[in-house]
This record gives sequence, structure tokens and C-alpha cells, in this order.
Amino acid sequence: MSKSNYSVIGKRVGNVDGVEKVTGGAKYTVDMVLPNMLHGKILRSPHPHARILNIDTRRAEQLPGVKIVLTAKDTLGRKNGIWRNFRDLCDEEILCREKVRYVGDAVAALAATDLETAEKALDLIDVEYELLPAAFDPLDALHDGMPHIHEDFERNMNVYRQIEWGDVEEAFSQCDHIREDTFYCSSQAHGCLEPHCALASFSHDGKLTVWTSTQSAYYTQLLLSDMTGLREGDIKVIKPHVGGGFGSKLSLDSAQYCAALLSMKLTRPVKIVLTRAEEFGATKRRTAIHYKVKLGAMKDGTLVARKVQAITEGGAYTAMGGTALYLTGFFSSFPYKFDHYQYDGFRVYTNNETASACRGFGAPQANFVSESQIDMMAEDLGIDPIELRIKNAITPNHEIPGQATIRSCELRQCLEAIDKWIKERGPLPPNHGIGVSAYGFMSGGIFNWIDTPYAFSSALVKINVDGKVDLFIGANEIGQGSNTTLSMICAEELGVRLEDITLHTGDTSVCPVDLGAWGSRQTLMSGNAVKMAALEAKKQLLEVAFHTLKPNVVYDLDIKDRRVHLAERPRRGISYFDVVKDAIRGKEGQAIIGRGHYTPHGKGMISPAYSFGVQAVEVKVDRQTGKVELKKIVTAHECGQVINPIGLEGQVEGASVMAAGWALTEELKSRNGKILNGDFRDYKMLLAEDVPEMILIEVDSYEPEGPYGAKEAGEGLTVPGAGAIANAVYNAVGVRITQMPLSAEKILQALEEKKRTQKEVDPFEAVA
Amino acid sequence: MYLKCPVCKKEWNASLKVARHIFGNGDKAHRAWVNSQGVSFTDLLIRQATGSGNQGFMVLAKIVESSQDGTSGVAG
Amino acid sequence: MERIISLRVNKEDYKVMVRPGESLLDVLRNRLGMTGTKECCNEGDCGACTVIMGGRAVNACLVLAVEAEGEEILTVEGLARGSALHPLQEAFIKCGGFQCGFCTPGMLMSAKALLDENIDPTEDEIRRGISGNLCRCTGYVKIIDSIKEAASVMRQGESDE
Repeated sequence: MSKSNYSVIGKRVGNVDGVEKVTGGAKYTVDMVLPNMLHGKILRSPHPHARILNIDTRRAEQLPGVKIVLTAKDTLGRKNGIWRNFRDLCDEEILCREKVRYVGDAVAALAATDLETAEKALDLIDVEYELLPAAFDPLDALHDGMPHIHEDFERNMNVYRQIEWGDVEEAFSQCDHIREDTFYCSSQAHGCLEPHCALASFSHDGKLTVWTSTQSAYYTQLLLSDMTGLREGDIKVIKPHVGGGFGSKLSLDSAQYCAALLSMKLTRPVKIVLTRAEEFGATKRRTAIHYKVKLGAMKDGTLVARKVQAITEGGAYTAMGGTALYLTGFFSSFPYKFDHYQYDGFRVYTNNETASACRGFGAPQANFVSESQIDMMAEDLGIDPIELRIKNAITPNHEIPGQATIRSCELRQCLEAIDKWIKERGPLPPNHGIGVSAYGFMSGGIFNWIDTPYAFSSALVKINVDGKVDLFIGANEIGQGSNTTLSMICAEELGVRLEDITLHTGDTSVCPVDLGAWGSRQTLMSGNAVKMAALEAKKQLLEVAFHTLKPNVVYDLDIKDRRVHLAERPRRGISYFDVVKDAIRGKEGQAIIGRGHYTPHGKGMISPAYSFGVQAVEVKVDRQTGKVELKKIVTAHECGQVINPIGLEGQVEGASVMAAGWALTEELKSRNGKILNGDFRDYKMLLAEDVPEMILIEVDSYEPEGPYGAKEAGEGLTVPGAGAIANAVYNAVGVRITQMPLSAEKILQALEEKKRTQKEVDPFEAVA
Repeated sequence: MYLKCPVCKKEWNASLKVARHIFGNGDKAHRAWVNSQGVSFTDLLIRQATGSGNQGFMVLAKIVESSQDGTSGVAG
Repeated sequence: MERIISLRVNKEDYKVMVRPGESLLDVLRNRLGMTGTKECCNEGDCGACTVIMGGRAVNACLVLAVEAEGEEILTVEGLARGSALHPLQEAFIKCGGFQCGFCTPGMLMSAKALLDENIDPTEDEIRRGISGNLCRCTGYVKIIDSIKEAASVMRQGESDE
């Protein structure tokens, strides 16, 4: 079907949650209050590694207003983790029993009548610790004789993953040119504006209701069931509006678990909201990674083989770090065709805050490394970096042995579009440089880490007598616009208007299961489920319409803009509303119900589809200070059929800025396990003043696996930024920064170093 | 010449590949076999991670080569 | 000790009991139930709690409730007139000036204070005007577009009057 035939999708519609969000009416978990509600607080370890000898809660319990203080002895003693069928990787008790493993590990939780009393009571809990030696650097932590952070993991080796195809050793021996480089990618805070928070209410009939800021209400329900021993069906998780996730609100967090436990003991509602300091220091963060990369090429620019070794700084627990470890390995080959590829990834425990999922999930790190090295290789070979990329770019229907089948891919067109833009930009002013980076990203993960027998996404459509459509989805809107996108898909498929759809979402007791918002999965996976549910409902309407319209058997019926008509002869038709009424009468008064589901099958190990793109960033480097100023960010990308254009652009822009912040100013610094910049004053996220002009070039593509041909958009744009900026800095002033972040100090130092070592005339200086 | 994994009997054309397979699989049986050869699975893994070349895996590759004689013989 | 103060919020008068150290943000959210104004960092770093007090955009977390006595306070809940949205609110929806929506109330109030001063700001003035407000979702592009759009609608409205 050609694009112009769509009546809802592809249109610039306002977000369906818009009015609530701009009037202050949208309720987030932090805004929720229940009658008789208590306030909870969590006592956290001040030490990076220590044995808990004794916890004396008596003084805290005696403080008027304090209702209860809980420690590990009040729990079932279970350990939590997302890979539920790998029990040894479920390693986080949340309330620590024997040891604390990072500054911020939880040791006690309490509830009081007001927040001030709860805060005061924290100081009255006496914990006796035996301090243990700690390990902060993953390279140190592996050494013999370093402290064991988890008893079962010798020398702190947490997870090892390998990926390979072809034969790299053999291939390198055939290459004309080989580069070996090392890189470091720094960590990043998620920086959600709404902190982690939960309001739990356990009733006398044994049912637990939890309102919480989560990326997956279903995961929260399942993991709470594991940890509390309640049946899944006795736990209702309600997800109100969520103030951002970015990967941080996917595992079970301390606010959710402790609020639930406290409420279960007291049979009263308990609310816990993490402070900003807890947000920075006691949740999760992006994985910092050390890389060694060997790249082999032929003189003509053909990339032959790449060998990647990554050592990731895991922090105190596994969380979803194993997946980041795997994905950084997979995406280190992207977006090129390598006949020979080998990856070894080592995840190491340290006594720092846990590194886990963070928007891009290992791919941004892989891309910074890979795309920096591609430019270095292009320079070695004397080939234009875009030409080199075009020569090796993944093309449609590309098979990555044992890993992935890539169907749609318009990377070449994206590269050509960026090439054209750079040429049109013409000569740059002094100290300006443009860097490019090509990337690909997944449309949802094929990881059943949670080990569920349910479909990955499901949806239910109910058509009522007035023609209004109730759409029930388990998908999680967290700001990315999925409520709008999925409503649009439902309206398009049913042939009604967007305002005909009433969305029901964010309540596990009402909505069918969906794995939630991670890995850019909802447009494709939840979208397919919604489309299928709408189609099933629509077919029931068409059966009735056939009786009325009695078309020749060769004609099909369709519904468009509330009119049921002959697909081939649109003028012959009847009102959707009349058909709905007839259909309901024909079903003995039952509403029309359609069910839909989606689980990827036969799509490899990673994802059912991949999106591709290229970003060019123009920077200006101040030679006196080393400061990088962003001048322009130009993105050419392809994401299949665009469903929700405003949402798509917003995702692309927001992700690009998050990536630029990671590259330049955001580094979560710590010393001896203590976060040094755990507030928004010292942790520098980019401001409106820092953001440059953004240009978006949409390249057409069609993904057969996605709804209407749609695939991922948004998260993928956290991927290319750092590499493009590093390349731009090099092209501006001739210094190659391989250790993130690209801070002013580091660039200045590199400029000075370059001046010292280079006696001959610096060609970049000469141009400037 | 093909070499077998002494644990699951899968075959490769080089001992280093068998060693990579053993580390990559890393289940209890494979770990136990490595540890029974007078070396430590974790130690070799860490030597691979922190050393240059294929230091850790080569040690196991040599062991795999010598193990072929004593087991079911060299196939292929 | 707690004392009763008079606050004027969104053109309505309230008598509220407050503690001496209680911030305007706490009073709005916890005592008056106006949760539209968001609590995010509580240290004046993020701008999520921006309200307009005496015509100026302020971080409600840094203002003591007692200091707000006698001032005209406007929060996001007072921006629309009845069911008619303010041009800024209309523009944020039309242009996609929000995603998760958590920074939006503060962003809208900073933008309102800016446009109250200057109905025809340059893009740089808009960027500076909202540089005290953090947004993690949008990258600011569509927020800036929204404010431009609202300013244009408001200028049109003025010239029509």
C-alpha cells in the first residue's frame, strides 16, 4: 500500500497524553498519595565493601512515628536478577544480609508517619561493619589476591561471552594493513527527572498493589513475586505516567522492593521516593568498558577481519550487565560486513554502583570504538572515510552467521545523503571539523531473560456499541510516545479516527502481558500485537458488512475513516457505526473483541529487525581551552514506515543530545567507590544553550517484519554521537581522543602534547 | 585434521578453536574438565583477558591436543 | 513552630499551616495537593519546580513558603483559562515539546516568564530563557520550536486585539 493511502499513521498528530502533560494533570508515582500512607526510607552502606556484623534497629524503632524497621532477616533471603534461569547471575538481595558491596547498597528499610521522622530514624540505626578491602578498577579486580566480591565468582570474573564467525587469525595473515588500538568508554548516569519511586499497598486479603515508575510493569510484577513469595496474580502493578527511564527502570529496584516489604508487614500503604543522591549513587548506570580492537583491511579499503576484546566494569551486581556485554560485542561489528569477526567480552565485578542497561545497551560504546577506528583506518589507507564505509556497509538481506538476519537496510543511501550534505556544507572555518559515524540498532531484543511463557507483546481490542474502541496494551509509555504510536496503529488498522481509541495501559490486572519498554521493542513488537488485535476485530465487523453490502465475491471490504466500503470501489459503503451496532446484535449483545500477540521466531539471536543511519557532527574546538562546541548535528536514518513523525523526531533529537552529553561532559566520577558528582550541578547534562542546530534526513525503507513496515527509531541515535564527535574533533584540530569522555582538559592536554612532540609544521594549525 | 572437545565431542580443525569453544560454553562439565587438567579455568580466562595474543586459550589448546591421544582418537 | 500563612496561588487565596523551613514546593505539592509542579532535585539545579512568583520564574524548592506570603504565584495548574489551553500549552502539544512530561510544567513556566517579558524572543534568548530547566528526553529542539510557535500565536493575538 502506498503511503498516501494511510489516514492515521504518518500524520503529524499531537501526543495522546498531551493535554494531561501540559496542564499538570498527568499523575506520576511521585505525585500519588493514599489515605493512611506511611513514608519509607532506605539505609544505605557508606562503605564500598564490608561485612555486616550486626544491625541494631532498637533506637530507630523507639523514635515516635516510626512504625517498623526491616533488615535482611525479615526477607525470604532470595536473590534477584533478570536472567531468572541462570540462578548464579541472580545475585542481588537488595537488602543485604552478610555483606555490602558498594557505597549505596541497602541494609535496612523503615516506615514512619512522615518523611522527616523517617529521615531522622535512619541515623538511629546502628550498623556494625567489618571493613573489607575493595576493588574499583576491573583490571585490578581480576588479579590474584584481590578481594572476592561474590564468593562463587573466583577472581571477580562475573560473565564471559564470545561471538565469532569466520577465522580471524587466518584472515589477518592475508590483510594488507592491520591496526591495533585501545579505547575506553566512560560511564553515564541515566538522569531520569522522575526518581525511582514506588507506593505499595498490601491489603488484609493478601493482595499487593504497587504504583511505580517502571519501564516494565510485567517485569516488576514477576520479580516482586520472586522476592516476596506472593503469586503473580496477587500482585497488581500500576504504572502511572513515568518521568523517564533510559534503561534504569527495568530491574526490580530498592524503592519497589522495600515499599512492598514494608507494606506487607504493616498492611498499610508505604511510599518510597529515592533522593537525587540515591538516584546517582544507588541505582544503576551505563557500563564503562576497556577495549582492545584489531582491524584488518586490504589496500582497496575492503574490511576483512575485526577482533575485539572488551573488559567491562560491572560494579557490584550482574543486573542486565551480561546483555550489555553481549550486545557491545555484537554491535562492535556494525554496521559492516566482516567475513571474519571475533569478540571476547569479560564482565568483572567491582565495588562500584552496578552497571546495567542504559539507552543503547552497549551499542554506543561499541560504536565510539568502532567508528573512531574506521576513520583511523581510512586515513592509514588514504581513502575517504565515507567511501570506506560505503564499500563495507551492510546491505539488505545480509546474514551474520549464527547471530542475525538483516532484512531491510538502507545504510548506503544514508551514507550518500550525509556525503552530499558535507559536500554542500563546503569549506569550514578554522578549528571546525565534521566527523561522521555510521550505526545500526535493533528493534527489540530476542532475549527471554525473564523466562516467561507469555508472548513478548500482546494486545486486546474491544469495540463498543458507540463505535469507541478500547485498546488494552501491556506496553509501557515512559515518554517515548508509544501510547500515541500504538493508538495510531490501532486506528489505522480498524479504519477509525485517533479520537475513537481509548487506551487502557499500565495496569497488570487489566492489560495483557507485554515485556515493556527496552531495546526499542515496542513499535515493532507491541505494534504487531496491536495491529493483529485490530485486524481480528475488524474481520468480525466485515463479516457483518458482507451481509449488508453483498458485494460480488471477487471484491474485498475495507474500513477507512469510519466507513466500511468495497476496497476497489470506495464509494459503495456504509457507516462504521451502523456495522458495529449490527455486529454486536449478531453476537447476542457482546462487544467485538480482537486479540493480538507477537513473539519473534526464526530471527536469530538478537532482534527481528535492524535500523540504520549515519550521523555527521560539526564541532568547533577552542584551542585555548580545549572546549568542544557543537555546531550542527545532521542525521540521515531509516526506520521503515514512519508511524508517529513528531514522536520519531523527538526521539532522534533527544537521543542525539544524550549521546553528545555522554561524549563531552557527562562522566559519573567516583573515588574509592563514592560518587563525586552525584547532583545536577556537578553532573553536567547538556542544556538548551549547548544544543546545536539539528537536521534530520529521513531515508525511505520498509521492514517486512514490522507493522506497516516500521522498525526501531530513537534509541539507536544514542549510538553514533560519541564516535562522530571524536572524529570531528580529530578533523578540527588533529588530536585523536580514544579515552572518553572528550573533556576540555583531555583535549587541551592532547593539543599540548601534540605541540611538544611535533617539531614539523602541524598541517591542521597551518590551515587554521 | 579434526580435534574433538573432550567433553561434548564436537569437532574443530584447530586446537585453539576447541579451547575457545570450551571457554565459550563454560558450563559445569567443561569447567570441571579444564580444572581436572591441573590448570584453573578462571585463571586461564583471566590470562586471556589481561595478556596479549591468545595466552590463556593457548595453554588449554595444548592440553586439548595432548588429550586427543588418550580419548577416542583423532577423527577425520 | 508551625504557623499559618496566606498564599495566593493561581488567583485563589489559601490559608496553610507551614513549618519555618518548609519550601514553597513542599507546600504546593503536599499541603495544597498541586502536584503539577514537579519535585526533581530539590536543590535548584533542574528547574522542574519552576513557578512564577511576582512575575519572575523561580525554583519553588529554593523559596521558603513564608517568603511567598503576599506574592502572586502562578503554577502550571493556573496556566489554562478554564478549558481553554494557554498558547504555550497548545504549542507544546502541536510541536511535540515534551516526552515524559516531567520537566514540562517547569519548562512551561520558564517559557511563560520569558514571553511575559519579551513576546518576540530570538532563538538564543529562548535557549537562555530555559537554560535553567533540564530535559533528558527531547534534546530541547522541539521545546524551542514550541516556544517560538507560542510567541508567534501570542503576537498574532495581540495584534488582533
